Amino acid sequence: MKQAGFSTYLYANTELDDDLIRSITENCRSVWYKKNEFLLRQGDICRQVFFVEQGLLRQYSIDEKGKEHILYFAPENWLVADRESIFFNEPGSYFIQALEDSKVTIADQSFINNLAEHNPSFLTFNNRLLHNHIRHLQKRITQLLSATAEERYLDFIKIYPDILLRVPQAMVASYLGITPESLSRVRKDLAQRHFKS
Amino acid sequence: MSTKTIAGISRPGTPHFVGDGFRVHNFIPGTSTMQEMDPFIMLDYNSRYSFAPSEIPRGVGVHPHKGFETVTIAYRGKVEHADSTGSGGVINEGDVQWMTAAKGILHKEFHEKEWSKKGGDFQMVQLWVNLPARYKKSDPKYQNLRNTDMQKVALPGNGGEIEIIAGEYNGHKGSASTFSPINVFNAKLKKGAEATFNFPAHYTTAILLVEGSAKVNGTDIVPQDHFAMFNRDGETFTIEAVEDAVVLVLSGEPLQEPIAAHGPFVMNTRQELVEAFDEFNQGKFGYLED
Repeated sequence: MKQAGFSTYLYANTELDDDLIRSITENCRSVWYKKNEFLLRQGDICRQVFFVEQGLLRQYSIDEKGKEHILYFAPENWLVADRESIFFNEPGSYFIQALEDSKVTIADQSFINNLAEHNPSFLTFNNRLLHNHIRHLQKRITQLLSATAEERYLDFIKIYPDILLRVPQAMVASYLGITPESLSRVRKDLAQRHFKS
Repeated sequence: MSTKTIAGISRPGTPHFVGDGFRVHNFIPGTSTMQEMDPFIMLDYNSRYSFAPSEIPRGVGVHPHKGFETVTIAYRGKVEHADSTGSGGVINEGDVQWMTAAKGILHKEFHEKEWSKKGGDFQMVQLWVNLPARYKKSDPKYQNLRNTDMQKVALPGNGGEIEIIAGEYNGHKGSASTFSPINVFNAKLKKGAEATFNFPAHYTTAILLVEGSAKVNGTDIVPQDHFAMFNRDGETFTIEAVEDAVVLVLSGEPLQEPIAAHGPFVMNTRQELVEAFDEFNQGKFGYLED
């Protein structure tokens, strides 16, 4: 799907009632980001939550040697924020950047907090999102500790079926925690097993 | 027979780069939808553009295609290509490469190495022709149509010639084989010369002014680098060269099948698109070194 609406997402993924969904979307705004533009920079305090309607974002850090490490990609329908920075009100360690021209719905954290405080159904939804996030991160830690490059790649293409066609391979390698050469090797091995001319 | 009239003339929009080697204006689906242009699903036009010399050839790296054919028409410059079936070669000036991606292929295309070192004027068309559903999963293949082998029909009074890339003009057949009725011609007309074309009324028909300008049906002027789309109201139209002109003429029978397209994959259903991504990710299109 090339374009996702925030309200469509909320209808499909939550049990919030119509009035609440309307109130949420009315309190959000849509912003176009140009390719390479930043939504958040390392050292900033994150005060917003981003929903990708169209385009592609990435959240990444840069180590002391200047090397980039991609924590995740966020294509259409992903809801992203630096949750750590938001919750603890601390400068964050991550950049969030547009990898394509992207249309993003933005919700202010103060509005989200207020909703969570007064709305049990929203709190439940937010809790589920948070636990989904934890599940994803736990799985990722386990993979980085114990999975082979091929296993990581196979899991990556399940989560992100079209990202290989949207970003340079070096970025995919960065996400997988392997070198671009290893990624090429993995793809070549797979092709040798699967390609029938 | 009645006249096929022009529905609209589009000027070239802001160009964008495909990779770093193709500076193109998109006419299909830019000026209309894939459904309206059926069976033509994409047309990118690299209008005449001068590339500076480069030791490292510019172009587009490894990328997949599935479900359709790519037709590369080289007017100026040379393109070198390679793919995951092990094929490769050079498309020289005046040549056409007709690639059937069908069940899936990886390929890359760059300015030819020696040409790139010198640089110069580059002008190309890349056209995507949809495949009927029953051929979408057939084996990939190439047709390298060299200019010297192309069927050409001389116009009366030394008025130029019609180069038949595919289809049929006045009983003369082009050498490209196609999976549905498709006509692709280069009409090379001398100033003042006129050529008449006949296609069934319901065919999707369009022209691109690659060189010079022309008058269609004695009334509509189509300037250089402009694209004109025809109505489905008749069979016959004429093109008269206002100055020496090269006109790309396209006419094809609509397939009238559902289209599910995403990036380089053009299938019939969403499920087939999901499968296409999976096949690409799993290496089922083979492997090609960057």
